[in-house]
Amino acid sequence: MGNLRTGHIVEAALWLGLCLFLYIYSFQFEKEIEIYKFGASAWPRAILLLIAVAAVGQLLYNWKKGDGGATSMIAQAHDDSSKGSDHNSLKWYLWTFFLLALPFIYMNLPEAIAGMMSLEKPGLHSAKLIVAGIVVLVYILTMRGNYVGGILALPILFGAFLQDFGFYAMAPIFILGVMYLFGERRYKRMVVIGLGLYALLMIFFVSLLYVGLPTGNIGWFYDFGTTMVNILQ
Amino acid sequence: MKLKKYLASIGTVAVSMALSSNIAFAACATDGLPASMDGPDGYPERALTMIVPYGPAGGSGQVAQAMAQAVSDHTGISINRDHKPGGSGTVGMTAFMATPADGYTVLEHIDDASSAHALDSSRPNPATDLIPLVTSQITFSQIYIRAKEDRFTDWPSFVEWVKAQGGKATIANVSKEGSMERVMMKFITDATGMEIQQISFDKGAPRYGALAGGQVDALFEQPGDVRKFLDAGTFKPILTMLKEAPAAFADVPSLTDAGLDFDPLFRFRGFYVHKDAPADRVEWLQWAFQKAYCEDSYQKYNESKFMTLIESFRDTAGSQELITNTISQYRDVYKQMGLEVK
Amino acid sequence: METFNNFLGGAVTLFSDPLGIVIFFGGVIGGMLFGAIPGVSMLTLAAILLPFTAHLSPEHGIMLFSVIYCTGVYGGAITAILFNIPGSPENAPTAFDGYPMTKNGQAGKAVGAAVMCSAIGGTVSAVIMMIATAPIANWAISAFGPPEIFALVFFGLAVASSVGAKTFWKGWLSILIGLLIAVIGLDPVGGIPRWDFNMPYLLAGIHFIPTILGFFAVTEIFVQAENRAKGSYQAPKLSVDFPSFAELIAHKFAVLRSIVIGFFCGILPGIGATLASFMGYNEAVRWSKDKSEFGKGKLEGVISSETANNAATGAAMIPLLALGLPGGALTAMMVGVFQMHDMEPGPLVFLNSADLVWVVFAAMFFANISILFVGYLETKTIINLLRIPFQFLAPMILCLATVGAYAVRGLTIDVIVMFVAGAIGFFLRRSGYSVAGIVLGLILGRIGEQTFAQAMQMLHFEWSGFAGRPIAAALLVAGFLTLLGSIYGAFFKKQV
Repeated sequence: MGNLRTGHIVEAALWLGLCLFLYIYSFQFEKEIEIYKFGASAWPRAILLLIAVAAVGQLLYNWKKGDGGATSMIAQAHDDSSKGSDHNSLKWYLWTFFLLALPFIYMNLPEAIAGMMSLEKPGLHSAKLIVAGIVVLVYILTMRGNYVGGILALPILFGAFLQDFGFYAMAPIFILGVMYLFGERRYKRMVVIGLGLYALLMIFFVSLLYVGLPTGNIGWFYDFGTTMVNILQ
Repeated sequence: MKLKKYLASIGTVAVSMALSSNIAFAACATDGLPASMDGPDGYPERALTMIVPYGPAGGSGQVAQAMAQAVSDHTGISINRDHKPGGSGTVGMTAFMATPADGYTVLEHIDDASSAHALDSSRPNPATDLIPLVTSQITFSQIYIRAKEDRFTDWPSFVEWVKAQGGKATIANVSKEGSMERVMMKFITDATGMEIQQISFDKGAPRYGALAGGQVDALFEQPGDVRKFLDAGTFKPILTMLKEAPAAFADVPSLTDAGLDFDPLFRFRGFYVHKDAPADRVEWLQWAFQKAYCEDSYQKYNESKFMTLIESFRDTAGSQELITNTISQYRDVYKQMGLEVK
Repeated sequence: METFNNFLGGAVTLFSDPLGIVIFFGGVIGGMLFGAIPGVSMLTLAAILLPFTAHLSPEHGIMLFSVIYCTGVYGGAITAILFNIPGSPENAPTAFDGYPMTKNGQAGKAVGAAVMCSAIGGTVSAVIMMIATAPIANWAISAFGPPEIFALVFFGLAVASSVGAKTFWKGWLSILIGLLIAVIGLDPVGGIPRWDFNMPYLLAGIHFIPTILGFFAVTEIFVQAENRAKGSYQAPKLSVDFPSFAELIAHKFAVLRSIVIGFFCGILPGIGATLASFMGYNEAVRWSKDKSEFGKGKLEGVISSETANNAATGAAMIPLLALGLPGGALTAMMVGVFQMHDMEPGPLVFLNSADLVWVVFAAMFFANISILFVGYLETKTIINLLRIPFQFLAPMILCLATVGAYAVRGLTIDVIVMFVAGAIGFFLRRSGYSVAGIVLGLILGRIGEQTFAQAMQMLHFEWSGFAGRPIAAALLVAGFLTLLGSIYGAFFKKQV
C-alpha cells in the first residue's frame, strides 16, 4: 500500500466534487414528466453515481498499484505524461487557468453589466466593446512568457468574439496571433502568408461554397462582415 | 373491402387536390398586391439572411427553402438561409434577437415560439416582440395507424381496443412537454377516457419507422409530414383534428364526428422581422413575403404538403391575431394541466 | 441475376449522363479532399453542400452524398495517419497505429494500406449491400425497435470501454464523461433544460462534431505548440513507400475479419462505422499473439480499422434505405437530401424509386474502386502538407476547423466548444484518459438515453420486458459478458 500521491487524491476529489456540484444542479430539472416516470433527472444522476464509483475505484487502484500496471498497451504508447514537462508547475497551471478564464469573462460580464444598469442594445454593445478591449489587453500582458497557455486560450477567445465581432474581422488577427505564439517573428512573412491564407479561406468558402460565416452583430464589425459577404458572393 | 375504401379515399385526395390547385391559381390571397414595389432608398442593396431555427431537412427547413426561392424569384433579391437548430427553436430565436434590426435579417419560426412564450413570458412574443411578415402554412393533426392493421380499423374500434389494453397501448408522439402534440393528446385522452402510453420521439424518421415496423400501435402527426406513407398506402388516418373534415379526408372522422368536444390546436409556420426594423423596410418585406406566398412555385409546394386543405395564409394582422389567440389558448391549457406558467 | 441486371442498369444510368459523371467525380475528389484536409471533414463538406442539393435531381443529390460518404471515410484516415487528427470518429482507431507509423517514417506505407483496405472493405460491403438491403429491410423494420437499439448501444459502450485508456476505471470514466456531456441541453423525453447554467445557446446541447475536432485536431496543435516551446518538436519524416502485395496478403485474415465486423456494425442504426472501426481494431489486438506491438506503429492496426470502417459504409446504407434510420451524421444528412426532394427514405424508396436506389448502389461501388486510383495520386500530393512549416500549418488548421465546426449548426457556441475541448484534451492527454472514449460516449449518450426512455415506455417500465425481446436480451447479455470479461482482465489476469 501507500502508492498514493497527492495527484491521485486531487484527481479523485475533482471527480467527486464535479459529481456533487452537478448533482446539486440536477434539482433544477427534477421535474415530473407525465409520460415518463423516470423524469429528466434519473439518467444523468445514474451517470453521476457511476462516475463516483469509478473515481473511487480508480483511487483504490492507485492506492494498491500506484501509476503502474496499465491495462492497455495502446494507452501506454499514447501516454504523454511520462515525457516530463516544464509546463507542469502550479504557477504555470494558475496562470494558464487565468488565461483560459478570460473568454468566459467576456461571455458573461457585459450582459451582467447591462442587466445591472438596465442598458438597452446600444449600451450593451458599448459594454461589450469596452470589456473586449480590456480582456484583450489583459490577455496580451499575461500571455507573454507563457506561450503554451497563450495558445490554449487564444482560440477560445477567438470563438467567444465570433458572434459579436464576426469571422471576417477576427480571422486575420487570429491567424497572425497563432503564428506569433508558434514562435514566428519574421513579420513581413507573417503578414504575407496570413493575408494569403485569409484570402484563400474567403475565396474557397465564401465565394465558391457560399458558406454563411458569422458576420458579427456590433457596429463597425457587422458592417465590415456584411460588406465582405457582399463583395465575395 | 377496406383496401377499396382506402383507395377511394386516396382518389378523393387526388381529386380534391386537383380542385384546390385550380382554386389556388384562380384566386390567391395576395393577388391584389402590386406586382412590383421599390424598396426605400435603395433597400435592399444586398442579400437578406433568413435565420431558420431548425435543420434544413425538416418541415421548417423546407418551407424556408420554398419561401426564400419564391421571394427571390419575384424580387430578384437573394436570401441566404442560416440554419441554427437546437433547443426546440430557442437557440435560433436567441441568435436572431442578437442580430441588428436593420431589416436585412428575417426569421422563420413555428407555433412553438408562441407556446414557449405562453409557458415563459420572458421568451419573445412573436406577435409583439417581432413583426410577422406572413404566416404561410397552417395545418392540423391526425392520428394514423398501419393500413395493414387488423386489431382495429377505424377510430371507434381503435378507442375500444385501447381501452381493452388497460394503458398498455402505445402511440408515437413528439416528446417536448407542453408542445402542441402533447397538449392535443391530453385533450383526446381526456375526452375519450382512454389511457394510452405515449412514446417520445423527437425526430420524424424514427417516429414513422416505429409505426411502420409495428413498434407502436398508432402515430400522432400532421398529414404533410407523412404524405409519402399515405400515398404508398402504408399508413392510414383514423381521426382528423378539425371540427369539420376537409374534402381530402372526407372519409376520416373529424372531432365532431368522433364526438370529441375541444378546440384543436394548429401547427403554423411563418416569417418574422425585428419590431425595431425601419418601418418602410418592414413594409417592403411584408409585400415581398406576402406576394411570394402566391407565387406558383410556393403554392405548388404548399399543396404537396397538404397545406391548402385549410386556409394557410395570414397577413401581419391576421398572424398577430392567430398568435395572440394561440398564446392565450396555451396559457389556459397549461394552467389546467398544472404546468408552471412564468 | 436480377441484382446484377439492376446494378448494370444503375451503372449505365450513372455514366450515360454527363452531369452525373461530373457529380460522381466531384464527390469522389471532394470527399477525399475534405477528409484529408486536417480540420475539416466530409461532414463539413456535406453540411456545406446540403442546401445546394435542392438544385440537383434526387438521384444526383443522394448519389453525391453516398460517394462523399465512401471516399470521406477513407480520406479521414489520411489525416489520422499523418497528423493524428482523425477526419471523423470512425478514423480514430486508425490513428492509434497510423500516427506512430508516421513518426517512424512509414507514413507512405500506412496511407497505402489505408487506401487498399478502404477500397477492399468498401467494395465488398457495397456488393453485399446490393444483395442484402431489400430482404434485411423487411426483417429489421419490425425486429429492431428502441429496446434493441438501446441494448446495442450498451453493448457498443461495453466493447469500447477497454479501448485507449490507461486503466479499466479510466476507460469507464472517459466514457461516462462523454455520456455526461451528452446530457447537457434539452432532455429527450420532456424537452426539459438540463445543466444549461442559464446560457441559452447550451440548450442546443454539445454536438459531437466540434468535440471531435477539438479533442483531435486542436489538441494536436496545442501539443505541438508545447513541443516547440520545449524545443522537442520534430518534423515528421516523409516517405511514400507503399506496402507490397505480399504484406497485404499476409494480413488477409485481418482484412476478412474486419470486413465481417465492419459490415455487421455498420448495419446497426445509430452506431455504424465508428463502432465498426473500434471493434475491428480491438479484435485485431485480441487475436494477436504479440499485443505489445499495437499502438507503436503496427500495420495490422491500420488495416483492421480502415477495412472495418469502409466495410460499414455499404452496410450503413441498409438501415437508411430500408428503415429511414440514419447510422451516423452523414447518413442523417442524406435523409435531409431525400426530404429536400420531398422523399422519405425508408421501405417505400424501394417501391417508388428503385432506379434511384440502384444508381446510388452503383455509384458507391465505383466510388470505392476509385479510392484505389485517385487515392494513390492524392496521397502523393497530400503527404506534402507535412512539408509546410508548422507555424503556418497551425493557423490554417485552426481556421478550417472553425469553419468546420460552425458550418454544422451555424452556432458560434460550437466553435467555443471545439476550442475548449481542445484545451481539455491537452490536459487529458497527460493523464491516461481516453479522448476516443469520451467522444464515443458523447455520440452514443443521447441515442442511448432516448432509446432507453422509449424502451421503458414501450415495456411499461418493467425491466423484465427486455427478456421478452430475444434480440435485445441477447445484446444486453453480450454487453454484460464483455463487461465481466474486462473486469476479469483488469483485476485477475496478469498483465502482459
